[in-house]
Amino acid sequence: MKSPFNFFSGSADEQRIQELKGLTLFNGLRARELRELDELLHARSYQKDEVIFDEGDTGLGLFIVVRGRVKIVSSHAGLKRLAPEFGRGDFFGELALFDEAKRTARAVAIEPTEIVALFRTEFFSLLERDRGIAAKILYELSRTVCRRSRSLVVQEEHLPLL
Amino acid sequence: MRNEPTPTLLSWLIIILVTCLVLLVFQKILWLVIPGLLALVLYYCMQPSVQSLVRAGLRHGTAAKVVAGLLCLAMLLPALFILSVPASRAAAWKGTLAHYVQGGLDFLGKTEEMLAQKMPMLRKSAVLHHSPANLDAAAEEFAEKYLGIFLLQLVHWLPSLLLIPYLTYFLLREGNLFRKHLIRNVPNAYFEKTLLLFDRVDKSLQSFFVGLMKLTFLDTACLAIGLWLIGVSFPLLLGLVAAVLAWVPYLGSIVGCILVVVVAATDFPNEPAVAYGCILLFISVRILDDFLFLPLTVGRSLRIHPVLSVLVLFLGAEVAGPIGLMLVLPVWGVVAVVIESLGQILADQRLHERFRQARQLRAVTG
Repeated sequence: MKSPFNFFSGSADEQRIQELKGLTLFNGLRARELRELDELLHARSYQKDEVIFDEGDTGLGLFIVVRGRVKIVSSHAGLKRLAPEFGRGDFFGELALFDEAKRTARAVAIEPTEIVALFRTEFFSLLERDRGIAAKILYELSRTVCRRSRSLVVQEEHLPLL
Repeated sequence: MRNEPTPTLLSWLIIILVTCLVLLVFQKILWLVIPGLLALVLYYCMQPSVQSLVRAGLRHGTAAKVVAGLLCLAMLLPALFILSVPASRAAAWKGTLAHYVQGGLDFLGKTEEMLAQKMPMLRKSAVLHHSPANLDAAAEEFAEKYLGIFLLQLVHWLPSLLLIPYLTYFLLREGNLFRKHLIRNVPNAYFEKTLLLFDRVDKSLQSFFVGLMKLTFLDTACLAIGLWLIGVSFPLLLGLVAAVLAWVPYLGSIVGCILVVVVAATDFPNEPAVAYGCILLFISVRILDDFLFLPLTVGRSLRIHPVLSVLVLFLGAEVAGPIGLMLVLPVWGVVAVVIESLGQILADQRLHERFRQARQLRAVTG
């Protein structure tokens, strides 16, 4: 039976899986795991200069750039000076995956951008039912967060925590 | 979930109004609401099985087909059995029903007699003069009148009930995609809040229905064990029927209790103590339900204050009768979540500003 809502069926499905596989956060996952994860991801498109989230918003999940570029603007001194940009495969807003704290910066698309969002409660449901997938994602996430933490200390790379 | 919005007086009024409207609409399309709700119950109960099959290596669509296929089989077999019952068997059922009605009326008569012996002044009371003069004729008349109606209702509802496996399959296979499709059409500015709203609705429904299933299981187990100890026939079946009837608050429990007492009184016509034992058992299970099972299962899910839940039940009964009584709690739970979240979104000027900005950008880029 052809699904009336399935926009990723057939060859598009494989294309989508390959696309996800190319993202740093998910490159440790197998095709089956990516398919399971894909059910939790939400694809969004943003225009140039469109705000993705704002400083002070309650964070609800992380965003991964599939195409385009995103600039981070903040009133906080450290982030203001660094003003980082994220491109294909990068993710931002990761702290919202762990708590409901306010966002510390504004994320703006600086060119037409496509992103996928992973919502916190959906990630927790994945954590409960398939720890294997969640562990791989958390491992990649931790590596990047460590790298960004170090970069904040030594200020070698422009990839702060958000 | 933390950071949930606090309802204002206006939102309370809107919640009450919307709940009443939804109940009135549901009453009109009951043929769709009942299978829809049962499909939702099955969806939440079977979703873990589909996820397990996906983890075992099956594609999502195939896993949904396997689970829904098994469900379909489990539902079609009893339906075919009911449809294939020959007329002669139906006549025998009529006899059985008459037998049990007779048993119930006998029990009523004996109880009246016993009460009159203990309290002679009640003999003059009108309360004790309701039993029909000819119990046999009354029982026959009852069976004649209601068994036909029951069978007709069953045939009338069968097509609707056959929708259940189809709707369950749709939800298992397409539910998540449908939800994603809806969210995809939400403007970017409201995207995160909408996700939160969907998540809250989903969690409310899931915990309510799963809680209801757990409550039904606990009720069935307690009643079946109690009836088995008392010695009533078909303890498991009676326990299950009474537990399902209890889905309609208050009214369902009373009907379930009457059903079991009638069976007990017929099985043991000369031992009214058995029927009284059944009544005691029902009261005990009711107390267990109210103070232990309900707060641990359904109560936890909707987080409605006990006093408010009683008022909400009265509201449901007033608006839509027994159907309102049955549906008002989950409807209230969902409506409250939706109204409170929408109120939060509407009050957030930053979101509206972001939406306007995005619309202007889209207008410029065409």
